Amino acid sequence: MLKKFASVRFILSLGLILSIIFAAYNAYYKIKYWGFNITPKKMTDVWTIETHISFEPTGEPIKVSIASLSSSKEFKILDENIIAPGYKTKKQKKDGDNRLILTTSAKNEPQDIYYRVLLFDNEDGKGKMTAPVPPAPQKPVLDEQRTAIAQELIVQAEKLQGDMPQKFIRLLNQTPPNSTVQSFFPVRKTQQDIAEALSSLLSIKGVPNRIVKGIKLEEDKKSFNPDFMLEAYTGSRWKLYNIKTAQVGMPEDFIILQRGNAALLDVEGGENSSVKFSVLKSISSSFNLAGKRAKLADQKASFEFSIFNLPLLEQNTLKWLMIFPLAILVIVLMRNVIGIQTMGTFTPMLLSMALVKTGFWPGLICFTVIIGIGLIIRAMLSKLNLLLVPRISAVVIFVILIMQVMTICGYRFSLEIASSAVFFPIIIMAWIIERASITWEEDGPINAGKEVFNSTLVAIITYFIISSEYIRHIMFAFNELNLVILFIVMLLGTYTGYRLTELKRFKPLAKD
Amino acid sequence: MFGKLFSSYASPSSLKKAGVLGMNSRNYNFISKYNRRDLYPLVDDKVQTKILANKIGINTPGLIGVIEYQHQVDNILNIVKDYKEFVIKPAHGSGGKGVLVIKGYTPDAFTKASGEVLSYNEIYQHISNILSGLYSLGGKYDVAVIEELVHFSNIFKDYSFQGIPDVRVIVYKGFPALAMMRLATKMSGGRANLHQGAVGVGLDISTGSALKAVMRNVPIHLHPDTHAELNKIQVPNWREHLEIGAKAYEMTGLGYLGADIVLDADRGPMMLELNARPGLAIQIANGIGLAGVLKNIDDTYPSGLTAQQRVDFVLGKKS
Repeated sequence: MLKKFASVRFILSLGLILSIIFAAYNAYYKIKYWGFNITPKKMTDVWTIETHISFEPTGEPIKVSIASLSSSKEFKILDENIIAPGYKTKKQKKDGDNRLILTTSAKNEPQDIYYRVLLFDNEDGKGKMTAPVPPAPQKPVLDEQRTAIAQELIVQAEKLQGDMPQKFIRLLNQTPPNSTVQSFFPVRKTQQDIAEALSSLLSIKGVPNRIVKGIKLEEDKKSFNPDFMLEAYTGSRWKLYNIKTAQVGMPEDFIILQRGNAALLDVEGGENSSVKFSVLKSISSSFNLAGKRAKLADQKASFEFSIFNLPLLEQNTLKWLMIFPLAILVIVLMRNVIGIQTMGTFTPMLLSMALVKTGFWPGLICFTVIIGIGLIIRAMLSKLNLLLVPRISAVVIFVILIMQVMTICGYRFSLEIASSAVFFPIIIMAWIIERASITWEEDGPINAGKEVFNSTLVAIITYFIISSEYIRHIMFAFNELNLVILFIVMLLGTYTGYRLTELKRFKPLAKD
Repeated sequence: MFGKLFSSYASPSSLKKAGVLGMNSRNYNFISKYNRRDLYPLVDDKVQTKILANKIGINTPGLIGVIEYQHQVDNILNIVKDYKEFVIKPAHGSGGKGVLVIKGYTPDAFTKASGEVLSYNEIYQHISNILSGLYSLGGKYDVAVIEELVHFSNIFKDYSFQGIPDVRVIVYKGFPALAMMRLATKMSGGRANLHQGAVGVGLDISTGSALKAVMRNVPIHLHPDTHAELNKIQVPNWREHLEIGAKAYEMTGLGYLGADIVLDADRGPMMLELNARPGLAIQIANGIGLAGVLKNIDDTYPSGLTAQQRVDFVLGKKS
């Protein structure tokens, strides 16, 4: 009775379900805490933003308050450090703005404070912003003349395309600017001037808005000024506008430092303060980052026992190994479910692995040439009446020689195809030649060709599966899947249904 | 185009209905269940099979000699000196691979059944190949068996192109279940392998008369080379054929086996070899699904019978 319930299939199915649950949980965990991607985005941009604050103390106790970065949907902070010897640091959150407060006693020498942040792209979070409905903005206080100009500008803007903020942006950025626009600005208008003007105009129209200060992430950027954008509440949500091009939405590489009109930097007890930003871009493998992310999430222990904590070299070897179970699954399916007979059980798998290293066409051509020449040589060898082991050994040596010649010729005539010969497993090649040659002698060339063709076909199918960057990434990043494959393979071991080829073979027996 | 593709495939349910046994089911439900692994050597090694068969009283072709080591290969002429004709085969071969039939010879010219003449060197090479495991399962070292040639009965002379026609009987739990005769053709190169193009003739298990014939899955009525009428085949000494099959069960303990039997003109039915993993083509030759037959044996056949009683039981069944 018990035996019936605890049948092999039942146990294996249970194992399969458990392994799927296990793999799914781990995948969730890795995506959530380690920041793994499902797609093979190997490299993640890592930005280092350094804010250099300098000022001269006035002799009073110093209090520096600077808008600080916080992890957002778009970017996550990986690491953060402040180089400010002798300062007490404190984080403060006020009105949705994060500020970093540094305090110290009175100083004499000019002060330099460095605030460095490491950020990485948080791809998934981009372009989603929700916010509560803001109150109507306060009307700006402008003198009579500027109010008149502003009214004139509003009239002019109505003729332009786009929504309200876009109309204003287009108007203010017209080249050459018309006289009304010119008279609204000082002689040299800065980004900040444009942003402020836009804010004023929108406020007059009653559109809630705020100036956004941030840093556009560009490689090796050094700047004394933050970049400006404008956020306006239109269409019942906050939209971010590029104040030059009127484009809506968060640009790819923009990080917001601060929203609203508060100063970026406040220094009490200092004067001539300046702030300078520098941006450095580096690229890091997402698996390298995983460790740091795990640390951030307080999940370090589990990470230390994972593949991703290994040196890169070992990781690459394992990445190669991790694809094997899937290739094995393909072979099992081919043989036991489809019913294709191949030369040797795992020969096609080894061939497909070689194809991955050589590239598809070069590998295939190379394989054909080696087998072709090998068969001719083997046919000649059979006339010498050698014993089996010495004969197969001779074939092995011939295969090596063919590979050598092909590689040398390949290099000499710069044919990359030929130089890929070395990647084929020598012994396997020799056995294919030997087996094909025996089949040729016994069952004729058609059957020999069929055998080689079947094996190559399975190898090609396997190749297309294991060469997919996407599949390889998944098998490596979520290596628990191999456990699932293990149970699928074992369950297939109890599959007693017909093979696909049998449906054809036994067709004459079918009863409807 | 897809319609055409589909029409060449049967649906799994229609095969199931016909009781067709598939490879996976054969391996899982029958071979691994009824054939204990440790019994395999009894049938995989033809020398052992022969010795066992003689003990239990099953006729087999007489053993001339065995060549076990490379240095004995040169002994071949000495071994066969009392015989005008002989067969060389690997002890662990399967599917007729590596079987060499010599109809006549001089010290340096050996005539094959096909009429082709081989040199002494080629014979030497062939035996060497056998010893080094070229034809054996898994490529293990093997021995060469030299045995007497079967003089196949003239009754089937018109039914076979070269080669010896043999009868394959599938024996399940000691009961002969299905039988077919295999006839060599020009296409099969004188060999009796169905997948190489030999003709398979399904035989009524209780009478030994032809049911239908197929070649490469296609029903035929005439032998493609000799044009003999295949449905006229009636195997003589049918009871003895079945006895060999039934006794093979006691002899080996294998619950699911295939017995290959040839009819010798003088000595009657003889067991050539046994197979612990008999193929499934026999279903096509008979037009009968094996799974259905085996299930019937499981469900309705009595147990605890002797080999003779089982043969009686099968002969008493009218299909």
